Amino acid sequence: MEEKERKYTTVSIPVQLYEKIKNRIEGTGFTSVSDYVTYVLREVLASLEEEEKEEVFSEEEEEKVKERLRALGYLD
Amino acid sequence: MRVFVIGLDSAPPELLFKEFIDDLPNIRKLLNRSAYGPMKSCIPAITIPAWMVMATGKTPGELGLYGFRHRKNNSYRDIWIAHSLKVKEKAIWDYIAEKGKKSILVGVPPSYPPKKINGNLVSCFITPDSSVNYTYPSELKSEIEGLVGDYIFDVIFRKEDRDRVLEEIWEMTEKRFEVVRYLLQEKQWDYFEFVEIGLDRIHHAFWKYFDEDHHLYEKGKYSNVIRDYYKLLDKEIGKTLEYLDDDVAISIVSDHGVKRMKGAFAINQWLIEEGYMKIRNKELLESGRVVRFEELDVDWGNTLAWAWGGYYSRIFLNVKGREENGIISKSSYDSVREEIRDAVKSIRGENGEKWDTKVFYPEEIYPVTNGDKPDLMVYFDDLYWRAAGTLGHPSNYLKENDTGPDDAVHSEYGVFSLALPETTKSKLIEISIYDFAPWMLELLGFEKEANLLRRD
Repeated sequence: MEEKERKYTTVSIPVQLYEKIKNRIEGTGFTSVSDYVTYVLREVLASLEEEEKEEVFSEEEEEKVKERLRALGYLD
Repeated sequence: MRVFVIGLDSAPPELLFKEFIDDLPNIRKLLNRSAYGPMKSCIPAITIPAWMVMATGKTPGELGLYGFRHRKNNSYRDIWIAHSLKVKEKAIWDYIAEKGKKSILVGVPPSYPPKKINGNLVSCFITPDSSVNYTYPSELKSEIEGLVGDYIFDVIFRKEDRDRVLEEIWEMTEKRFEVVRYLLQEKQWDYFEFVEIGLDRIHHAFWKYFDEDHHLYEKGKYSNVIRDYYKLLDKEIGKTLEYLDDDVAISIVSDHGVKRMKGAFAINQWLIEEGYMKIRNKELLESGRVVRFEELDVDWGNTLAWAWGGYYSRIFLNVKGREENGIISKSSYDSVREEIRDAVKSIRGENGEKWDTKVFYPEEIYPVTNGDKPDLMVYFDDLYWRAAGTLGHPSNYLKENDTGPDDAVHSEYGVFSLALPETTKSKLIEISIYDFAPWMLELLGFEKEANLLRRD
C-alpha cells in the first residue's frame, strides 16, 4: 500500500495495558483493542475540545450577560 | 469527613459577626462552636475571581482571571466575559473526584456553562437565563424546575423600583435554599458548596438607607432591609442545618466584604485631562450626557493609557508591538508605568483630602501572570471610591454611580468560620483566602494536595 493511501497507523502502548484492555473488551461490542483504544481517545479528545471551546455564549446571550454585568456595576 | 460550605457573597465581618449577630440565633449558635474571623480576600477583591481563588488556592494571576471581563488579544475594544471553562486550575472538587469523592455545587461563580464534576452542579449568576442548560448532569434541571419552578440566578438591583428589587431578592434566596436542601438530602456528596449572591445585591441596593455615615444616607422604610435580609439568611441556614448529620464540618465564607461607597472617580476623564489620552471627538464630552468609552474616537497615536472602571480600576498602557497602534517602546515601558502610577497615587479627593490609593503591578503581586492582565490595578482610596470608565460628567468626582443607583463598594476582608463536628468552643482567628482550599482538602483527607497549596 502506498504511503498516501494509509488510513491507519501504529502507536505503542505498554503490553500490560494491552492485556488489560483485551480482557476488558471480551464479550463486548468492541472487536479489537485498536477499536477500543480509538473509541476512548475520541471520547477524551471530544471532551477536551468541549472544555477548550472559547465561545460559550451565543452573540445574543453574550449581550444579555454584558448588559446584566453592566447593570450590576461590574463593567463601568 | 464531609464538608458543607455556606457562601455568602460580600458578607463583611463587621455585620455578620458583630452588628447583627444578636438577631441571628442560628448563625450565633454555629459560631459558638466555630473558629471564625475575618478572611483577607485576593487582589482584586471581586466576586470573579475571588470564589475560584478560594476553591483552587491559586492567585488571580495563575488563574488568568482579573475580573469579569478581559481584553481579547490586546484589543482596544473587544472583550471576553469570564466563564467556567476559563478556569483551568484544579478546584477542591477536582482533587477529591480523583479518589471518587462527590461534590455538589450551587451558584459558585463562575460555573456557567455547567462543567462536568463528580456529582451535581447548578450554575451561577452569569447564566444568561433559565432557558439554557444550567445543571450538571443536564437532567438535574428538570428536577429543579419541578421543585421551585423558574429558578432565579440573579436580580438587577440598579433600578429605582426598590420594592420590586426586594421582592425578587427574597424570592431568589428562598428558592436557592430550597434547592440546596433538596440536593443535600437527595444526592450523594462529600463536599457541598453553595453561594448566595442575594446578600451582595442587598448590600449594594440598600446601603445608603442603612449606613448613617453614607453621604446620601436616607432614614426611612428601607433602613431595616439589610438587617431583615440577614435574618432571612439566618432562618434559611437554620432550616438547612437541621438536615446535616453530626459528622459534617460546616463553614461560612465570603469572597470579600462591603462598605459604604464615597463616590465614583471618572478615570478616563482624568487621563484625558492629564494628557495621557487624546481623543478626536472632544465635543461629545460637552454633550451633557454620559458617554461610554466605546463612543470615543481615540487618537491612539498620541495616547499612552486608557482605563476600565468597576469596583477597582484597570489601566492599560498603549505599548508598541502589543497594541495595534501602540506607542510606548519596550525600553520606556517601566518609566511610563511608574509615572502614571505616581500620578494616580497623588490624586486627592474633591476637597483636597488625601486618599489612600493603592496601585498594583500584576507581576509584583502574583507569582505568574497568565492571560490578559492589565498594566496597573488601582484601588482608589482603599476601594471607597469606585472607578467610572464613562465620561461626559461635569466633575471627575461622581456622588452617585454612573450606571444606576449603587451605594456600596467592596472591602478587602470577608468572613470565614469553621465548625468541626467535635468542636464545642469558639475561637477567633484571621485567615487568608489562600488558606481556604488547603484547609478544606485537609478536612476531606487530602493532606498531600493540601500541603502543595499552602503558602507562607
